[in-house]
Amino acid sequence: MDSLIEALEKKSYEIRRAMLEMCIGAGKGHVTSCFSCVDILVALYYGNLLACDPRNPEWPDRDRFILSKGQASPALYTILADLGFYDKSELKKFNKPGGMFAVHLQKDVPGVEITAGSLGQGYGVAAGIALGAKMNMELYNVYALLGDGECYEGSIWETAMFAAHNRLNNLITIVDRNYLCVTDFTENLIALEPFEDKWRSFGFHVVRVDGHSFEQLLGALKPLRSRTSDKPTVIIADTVKGQGAQSLCYQPLWHGRAPSGQIADRCLAELDRRYQNV
Amino acid sequence: MSDVTQRDAFFQRLYELARRDVNIVIVAADMSAPALDKFRRNLPAQFVNVGIAEQNAILIASGLALTGKKVFAYAIAPFITLRCLEQIRVENAIMNIPITIVGMGTGLSYDSDGPTHHLIEDIAVLRVFPNIEIDSMTDSVMAEAYADISCNRKRTNYIRLDKDLCPTVYDADFDFSQGMAKLREGTDNIIISTGPMTHVANEIANSPQFEGMDIGVVDVFEIPIKESVLLEMIDGAKRIITLEEHFLPGGLGSAVCEILNDNEVPIFVKRLGLDVNAGYKHCYKYGGRELIRAGHGIDRRGIEQAVTAHFCAQTQRVTI
Repeated sequence: MDSLIEALEKKSYEIRRAMLEMCIGAGKGHVTSCFSCVDILVALYYGNLLACDPRNPEWPDRDRFILSKGQASPALYTILADLGFYDKSELKKFNKPGGMFAVHLQKDVPGVEITAGSLGQGYGVAAGIALGAKMNMELYNVYALLGDGECYEGSIWETAMFAAHNRLNNLITIVDRNYLCVTDFTENLIALEPFEDKWRSFGFHVVRVDGHSFEQLLGALKPLRSRTSDKPTVIIADTVKGQGAQSLCYQPLWHGRAPSGQIADRCLAELDRRYQNV
Repeated sequence: MSDVTQRDAFFQRLYELARRDVNIVIVAADMSAPALDKFRRNLPAQFVNVGIAEQNAILIASGLALTGKKVFAYAIAPFITLRCLEQIRVENAIMNIPITIVGMGTGLSYDSDGPTHHLIEDIAVLRVFPNIEIDSMTDSVMAEAYADISCNRKRTNYIRLDKDLCPTVYDADFDFSQGMAKLREGTDNIIISTGPMTHVANEIANSPQFEGMDIGVVDVFEIPIKESVLLEMIDGAKRIITLEEHFLPGGLGSAVCEILNDNEVPIFVKRLGLDVNAGYKHCYKYGGRELIRAGHGIDRRGIEQAVTAHFCAQTQRVTI
């Protein structure tokens, strides 16, 4: 196995474990929403893709990462702590008095670009930043991670139309396609498919990958630094909501919850078992 | 009467500023204006048209602001405020990303266009948010000045532009920093108004019918109201009328009453504005703005009656 891929697999496990422990400790957090996108975040932050500086979070040339699905903040908070944006002890204070952060994403946390929690909004801000970067002749990329359920918001498509028309090829959209919302599977709820066709018809360069395969994530993301297309790119990453803890997968009503008691122990064991060979 | 609308005065000045500052950007939701057409033609790199998509206009504007731009998000007033209220709440109130929201046609400006185009709720809705400043334009001189003022604001401001030509009440060198101005001296009775109603207040206070009466006029053009400035301007007043082309709950009159109450100033206030209990029926009255106002008692005649009832009653009581 490629050493980078191996390192990413290991990191993926560590982040999942720390994040799950954090949420179990707080009794809060959208654990399944985080598990579906952890590998995407790990690919970006540890796969030599996203330029950032933990010692200087406001570094002007940094790539911007916009977590539009703000409910996945525990995954990002855990990664930012691991990278040294702030002390790891902050994770123990998740949603506790004196803590720095809680369930939804907030801008004042070092390394975080926006406040999010109201879906469909971060993406437009990301497009605005991408346009501003072009106006200012700056070379950084803007990565926006959307939930697939977030794509029911009409503002997502207002932004998509805008991004394609303005040739924002510095805007890289990643959709965490976990097929689940709060109450039901997306294709039962209001069908999102044919999802690729929707984005393509809006003028996007569309790539579909397995969102838990680092080979595929890196393969899709790496060429984008070279602006190989004048179109904005969307990477539809097929994922499993809860990936890593089998007990939480494929069950809509686990949305927005953290496991407790025996289920929490089982989830931790499932996580350890799944990644024991890493 | 000015021969330039508030909108053209604002955008003409903004054009001049933008020619010298590449970071000034307009994000328009498919809106035009004579002065804006020049901006679009001569400064295309600083003009972004998002189409009829006001939610996206606020988001794109906020994203651009994060890259150092001074952004003006412009559309028809109800759509660039209420349509995208949650975007304003998250991006501009919660995140405090500073942009300037420019709303065209507040109040009953679009008198013949029906209720969707009237904007008679915006002050109530927006003044509840931290980090949002409401700037209610009175005349074209003020609108021109607020192009400059907006460029220097560190928080989001919302410019309310009236559509109609209106009288000029401010000198070009007027200092707008107080957020309000006493346009007519007077102590006992004060009319506090905003936007186009200030012209009506001025006319009535100066009309022969009320000659000899002590009536002051205060024009409030910035909300949140600077409390100490207001209290100073109404010092000694016995009766106040507030006047606005806006539903009464939460509007200018409410804001004034809150300040008086919180500062334990016992002045009886009569609020004049649109009656919320009448619903939107007025919006289907055609024949001009004054006719719609008449349905709510805030046409010239209705206000005169209120002034007589409220201020003259006070005078009489003092006489007795």
